[in-house]
Amino acid sequence: MRIRLDADRCQGHGRCYVLAPDLFDADDYGHCVLLVDEVPAGREDDARTGVENCPEQALSLEG
Amino acid sequence: MDVEDELQSPSLMVDLASADDPRAMSEMLRQQRVHNIEGMFHLLTHRQDVEAALRRPAVFTSGPEAVQLGNIRPLIPLSVDPPKHVKYRRILDPLFAPRHMTALEGEVAELVNSTIDNFAASGTCDFHEDFAVPLPCTVFLRLMGLPLEDLDLFLAMKDGIIRPSGATMEDQAPTRKKTAENIYAYFEKTLEQRRRAPTEDLLARIMVSEVDGVRLTDEEILDICFLFIIAGLDTVTDTLDCIFGHLSQNPDHRRQVAGDESVIPSAIEELLRWESPVPAVPRVLGEDVEIDGCPMKAGEHVMLLIGAANTDTTDHPGVDSVDLMRNPNPHLAFGGGVHRCLGSHLARVELRVAMREWHKRIPEYELVPGTVLEYTEGLRSLHHLPLQFPPAP
Repeated sequence: MRIRLDADRCQGHGRCYVLAPDLFDADDYGHCVLLVDEVPAGREDDARTGVENCPEQALSLEG
Repeated sequence: MDVEDELQSPSLMVDLASADDPRAMSEMLRQQRVHNIEGMFHLLTHRQDVEAALRRPAVFTSGPEAVQLGNIRPLIPLSVDPPKHVKYRRILDPLFAPRHMTALEGEVAELVNSTIDNFAASGTCDFHEDFAVPLPCTVFLRLMGLPLEDLDLFLAMKDGIIRPSGATMEDQAPTRKKTAENIYAYFEKTLEQRRRAPTEDLLARIMVSEVDGVRLTDEEILDICFLFIIAGLDTVTDTLDCIFGHLSQNPDHRRQVAGDESVIPSAIEELLRWESPVPAVPRVLGEDVEIDGCPMKAGEHVMLLIGAANTDTTDHPGVDSVDLMRNPNPHLAFGGGVHRCLGSHLARVELRVAMREWHKRIPEYELVPGTVLEYTEGLRSLHHLPLQFPPAP
């Protein structure tokens, strides 16, 4: 499972990195930075939580 | 009165904020994707349409005509659209980024606790007057390095713009104009003082921020400060009122929050969604558009109904009830798109700390019996929220 970020859509709501701080981080502007490409085994639920809480649909999962 | 009759009333937006049950009104409004309030504005009621509009700032513009509150120049960054908007958010976003805001937790906790000290032992308070009103303003003064003695002055400036006396926009205009002059004058004086005696606070950081090697002008800084007062103070008061209004009437939810601190962040997101203290955001059309067969012309005003979008079950089943542990909860209470609330991370720190410290000290509380809660117009706060509780140390 991979996480994809559409950086143009991210507006810095900050939901992903608050809910799953070891998968997502913030840059200086509070916008999302992916900490992993491939979701580590067993962390699928956290990845889903980060992705699905984004109000801008800037994040998605593949695979 | 049927839906359309009711919608002809110019007080509609007022009603959505002050309704006892805005969810029921939103449900009624969602029966149509677009409502045309004759000669005044259009309403978008569905989540998909509100989201799409928030993401198209060139079409649904947030230009100076969208918000007219006595300001003589555009509010920065709200009344500026891309591409110029980008410059201001590049300066302001880092200053309001979560990592800076989270660092304020200790200081906010002190302010929260000293506010609670004023009434804890008495076993009663008007949560609105005694807590929800002073807290955000006190935090703001501290953040900006302004004297705490100016609290009443700031509250008067905020109310003079957001809640001026008078029944119509026309009646309210003179108060707004006078208050706006006071706000500009206050910050002009402050900027002058700061240049003589530099400080280290948010205002100081704004004064020295640069984009492409260029600092903000004094006018730009004034226009930012003006927006801070009208966007950053009342909205946190509104949200605190909404949250504690809900918890004081829903003892199961209150116990869930008081019994487990870890519920608080999620409870805040859920009650932001459910109450939507900012029930609508205004836009002005940059070009002609048509939604669901309704033609709308360039220059016309559109209200994006955040509250209605946040309880639209079309793509988000279950959002017609409260679940303090809701996941996912991608609500739009802070808006969305390029104008996403700049202060959202500060608001969250204030709300989180207020909820935590309050429930540590006053886990049990209820409405004073016989109270009928009345919500305010425009932005959803309470006129009064009288609470009683076992006296606390």
